[in-house]
Amino acid sequence: MKMNIEPNTAYRDKYAIVGVGNSALGKVPELSSLGLIEQACVNALDDAGLTTADIDGLQMRGPDDIYTFHQVIGERLGINANFSTTTANGGASQILSVILAIMSIEAGLCSTVLCGYGRDAWSRTHRNETARMLSTTRSQEMDASEFGPEYGLYGAPAMHAFGARRHMHEFGTTRDQFGAISVAFREHALRNPQAMMKKPLTLDDYRAARMIVEPFGLLDCSLRSDAAGAIIVTTRERARDLKQKPVLIKGFGTHNNLKGWFDGDNMTRTAAGPSSARAYAMAGLGPRDIDCAQIYDCFTYMVLTQLEDYGFCKKGEGGAFVASGALRMDGALPTNTSGGQLSEAHAEGVLQIVEGVRQLQGVHTPDRQVKDAETCIVSGHGGNTVCHSTLILGTET
Amino acid sequence: MSETTTPAPTPKPLPRPSAESQPYWDAAAAHHLKLQKCKSCGDFWFPPSARCPHCLGGEHSWEEVKGTGRVFSFVTYQRLYHKGWAEDMPYVVAVIELDEGPRLLSAIVGIPAEDVVCDQRVRVVFDDVADGISLPKFTPV
Repeated sequence: MKMNIEPNTAYRDKYAIVGVGNSALGKVPELSSLGLIEQACVNALDDAGLTTADIDGLQMRGPDDIYTFHQVIGERLGINANFSTTTANGGASQILSVILAIMSIEAGLCSTVLCGYGRDAWSRTHRNETARMLSTTRSQEMDASEFGPEYGLYGAPAMHAFGARRHMHEFGTTRDQFGAISVAFREHALRNPQAMMKKPLTLDDYRAARMIVEPFGLLDCSLRSDAAGAIIVTTRERARDLKQKPVLIKGFGTHNNLKGWFDGDNMTRTAAGPSSARAYAMAGLGPRDIDCAQIYDCFTYMVLTQLEDYGFCKKGEGGAFVASGALRMDGALPTNTSGGQLSEAHAEGVLQIVEGVRQLQGVHTPDRQVKDAETCIVSGHGGNTVCHSTLILGTET
Repeated sequence: MSETTTPAPTPKPLPRPSAESQPYWDAAAAHHLKLQKCKSCGDFWFPPSARCPHCLGGEHSWEEVKGTGRVFSFVTYQRLYHKGWAEDMPYVVAVIELDEGPRLLSAIVGIPAEDVVCDQRVRVVFDDVADGISLPKFTPV
C-alpha cells in the first residue's frame, strides 16, 4: 500500500554546499574523464579550504563505460570513503548525488561528501585519428536491440524532439520560441570567459542553422564538451567554520517516470512537476520565491517544459514565457546564467549546480551576477528522458 | 580486377529479438501485428515483457490488433546517423498509439515527411526487410 508521504521539512537549511569547482571546459584532449574530474575535485577542495583528509563520502559519476566510477576516483584522490557509490540516473544523477550525500550524512555514515561528474565527451570523438574513426563506426552493443535502431532511431535529439513536436501540436509552441532559449543562454555565455561558445547569436542565426532531427536544429542541441564539476556537501553547522560563506540546501525532490517517455503525457508533463513539488514543499517556497534558475538544457525544448512543470508559467505557456525575455539577466527569471549546456559546456548537469552555488556565493563580476539573488532552483533531467531531480539553494541568513 | 564496382550499401540493422519479443517478430514476419493481452485484466501491452505491467498477471495470449491508430508524435531525420539510411533522407520516425492503447515506435511511410502531423490516423503495413523479418510500419489511412 502506497503511503501518503510529505517531504521532511526538518532537512530544510540543515545542509550546505561549502565548495564547488570545475575542470577546464571545452576541448581538453590532454585529460581523460578521470583527469577532468580530478581537476574539478581539487578545485572544489580549494574553494572549500578542505583537503582529501576531510572527505569521508564520495558520490561520483562518469561515462557509462567506466565501471564503478567512484572506486576509480577514490583511488586517484587517495580517499577511503565511509560511503560511496556511482549513480545511474543520467543527467538527474548529479543532484541525486547531493541528495544521497545529505541522506548518508543524516544517517551518520559520513560527514563531508565530495560529489562530481566528469566526461571527455569532445575528446572521445576528436582526440586523435583513432577516436575520430571510432566515432563514425557504431558499435551495435551501444544501441537498443529492437524497437528503435531498425527504424533508424538514433541519438538523444530524437527522443527529446518527440516531446517538442507533441508540445508544438498541443500548445502551438514554435521553433522561434525554442530559439529564444538558445539566444538568451548565448548572451550569458558571452559574459563567461570559461564558456565554449564565444560568438553572439541572433534568432536569425538560430533559424539558419542546419536541421538535425526536426523539430530540432543544431542550435537546439547542447554542446559536446570535455568537462567536469565537483561539489562538497556537509552540515550547515560544520559549514560555519569553513572558508566560504555556505550555500544552504533548502529543499530537494526527485521523480522518475519509469513507465517511459512514451507513456501517458510524460513527454509534455515531465517528471519535473512532481520532483519540484517535493522540493518546494521541503523548502517552504514556491516559484515566486525563486530568484534565478539553472535548468537542465540538453535541448531547448526541455528548458521550456521544465519551466512550465516547475510552475514559472502555466502548462502550454512556456513558449510565450521564454519569448518574453524572462530568461535574460534582466528578465523575470534569469536562467542558465553561465550559458548552460547549450553555450557554456555540457557536463551532465553538474555545472548547473556549480553555477547555482556561485550565484548565491556572489562571486561573479556584476555583469554575470543576478542582483540580490537569495534563492536558486536547479534541475537535473536524464536517464533516457524519464529521471528528474530538483535542488533549491539559498543564501546563509 | 580493374573494373570499378559500386560499393555495397550499408545494411540497416535488423531487430535482435529477446525471449519475450520473439512471438511479436514471428507474427510480423507473417504480416500480423500481434501484442500480448493479459488473461487477468484484459489489457494489451507493449513492449513485450514476461508479465502484464498493469496487474503483473503471468498469463497472456498473443492477439492480433486492428493495426490502426494515430501518430502520437514524430521526428524527421535531416542528419544522417547511420549510413544504412543514406538513400532514405529525410525519414520519419514516429510514436504510434494503437487503437487498443499501447504506443510503439515505428516509421511513417507512403507520405512525404512534411505532410506528417500529430494525431493523423494511420494503419500498419509490413516491410519485408530480410528473410523471415518484416518491420511493421505505418501509413496514412
